[in-house]
Amino acid sequence: MPTVLGFEGSANKIGVGVVRDGTVLANPRRTYVTPPGTGFLPGDTARHHRAVILDLLQEALTEAGLTSQDIDCIAYTKGPGMGAPLVSVAVVARTVAQLWNKPLLGVNHCIGHIEMGRLITGATSPTVLYVSGGNTQVIAYSERRYRIFGETIDIAVGNCLDRFARVLKISNDPSPGYNIEQMAKRGKKLVELPYTVKGMDVSFSGILSFIEDVAQRMLATDECTPEDLCFSLQETVFAMLVEITERAMAHCGSQEALIVGGVGCNLRLQEMMETMCQERGARLFATDERFCIDNGAMIAQAGWEMFRAGHRTPLSDSGITQRYRTDEVEVTWRD
Amino acid sequence: MTALVAAAAPAFPVARGRPVSRPPHVPGPGGDAASKIPRLESRIHVFALCVPFPSGLEAEIAYGSLAPDAKPHGGAVEKQLTVSGSVMAVRWRAKDPRLLRISIMTFLDQLSLVMQTMRRFGPPVSR
Repeated sequence: MPTVLGFEGSANKIGVGVVRDGTVLANPRRTYVTPPGTGFLPGDTARHHRAVILDLLQEALTEAGLTSQDIDCIAYTKGPGMGAPLVSVAVVARTVAQLWNKPLLGVNHCIGHIEMGRLITGATSPTVLYVSGGNTQVIAYSERRYRIFGETIDIAVGNCLDRFARVLKISNDPSPGYNIEQMAKRGKKLVELPYTVKGMDVSFSGILSFIEDVAQRMLATDECTPEDLCFSLQETVFAMLVEITERAMAHCGSQEALIVGGVGCNLRLQEMMETMCQERGARLFATDERFCIDNGAMIAQAGWEMFRAGHRTPLSDSGITQRYRTDEVEVTWRD
Repeated sequence: MTALVAAAAPAFPVARGRPVSRPPHVPGPGGDAASKIPRLESRIHVFALCVPFPSGLEAEIAYGSLAPDAKPHGGAVEKQLTVSGSVMAVRWRAKDPRLLRISIMTFLDQLSLVMQTMRRFGPPVSR
């Protein structure tokens, strides 16, 4: 029964988690929140992570009631993500792996989300909608790979939401997406926005430019409220995501859908996906904010699967990489 | 009288009157117009750092943690790490002094984190 320690810090969340045989023993996390109207930059984010990571590591061990010798493997996010934050976390993972003489495992961040989603929900072979500030992909497992069926051709849906929040100076605490969701509930008017599904893929940068432009104009003339804009943006982008997920499910004949990633916390998105799934007689799976949002335990869980299947990352191969496709990894732990 | 004149003189040398040394002036292919400014960018800047550790094993651990990450600034800065005994040596070469400075500062932050980790979660277990 291997016990795996996982480190995650590819964006503005830093988490350290401990997983043993499908049980999450600890999962503390901290978020780097910037003032309204601003986003998080790599250097500052890395500085934040460096300042808290060792305390988080201690917290994780204490919460799990373990010492370093109880750990069998050290997993960390190899990529994708922002360079400086990834490095700050990787150096700590490499250091403890060497100090405690334990094997090291570089994990793909997207696969971390998928494996945690599978563990927590029990979904057997779902079509996965992975939506966050950094990624937007529709993924399905086939023959030892997590295949990308559809994705954004420019920015992630979460990035679109986060950057829109900056325009309206919406608070980033606890996250811009959460605050947009609350404001959207009070929206009454649907403002028509471009709808950009491109076959199996989606595009958000045009919608962002459009809504940034519209926001200035319409708010100045009182044509609509910020709540109306939040509502309209969500309805548009979420409908696009539901469409490409449905298309992939139709291709695969899939009866299960799983939403992972920070944007997956959004209850309106879950509601819209649920409607689509019901219409197809399929089942929807989703996790709560502990596991939707980037966290250390998801890296530990993916690491646990990889470790049992015999994967190891030698130090010389342990460099981080900002671009790391989900289908680059050979998923030897599944049939 | 002499003392007053000395006090009235400027406390710093005036640029106008001060000789400035320049590298030899070589006209470019288009003639002199393009090469009025002396070319200082063609120098390679080098920076070397030696970090002592309490033991060879700890130096190797620090090396193992810091060496794997990709070339800083996509190859504009060359960084080389080596270990000899209980000392880790780092050597930088770069044309752009600004990128060099950023690379050094970033490295020092990461090194500091590695050392804090070793202090807090070490000493290394026996092998």
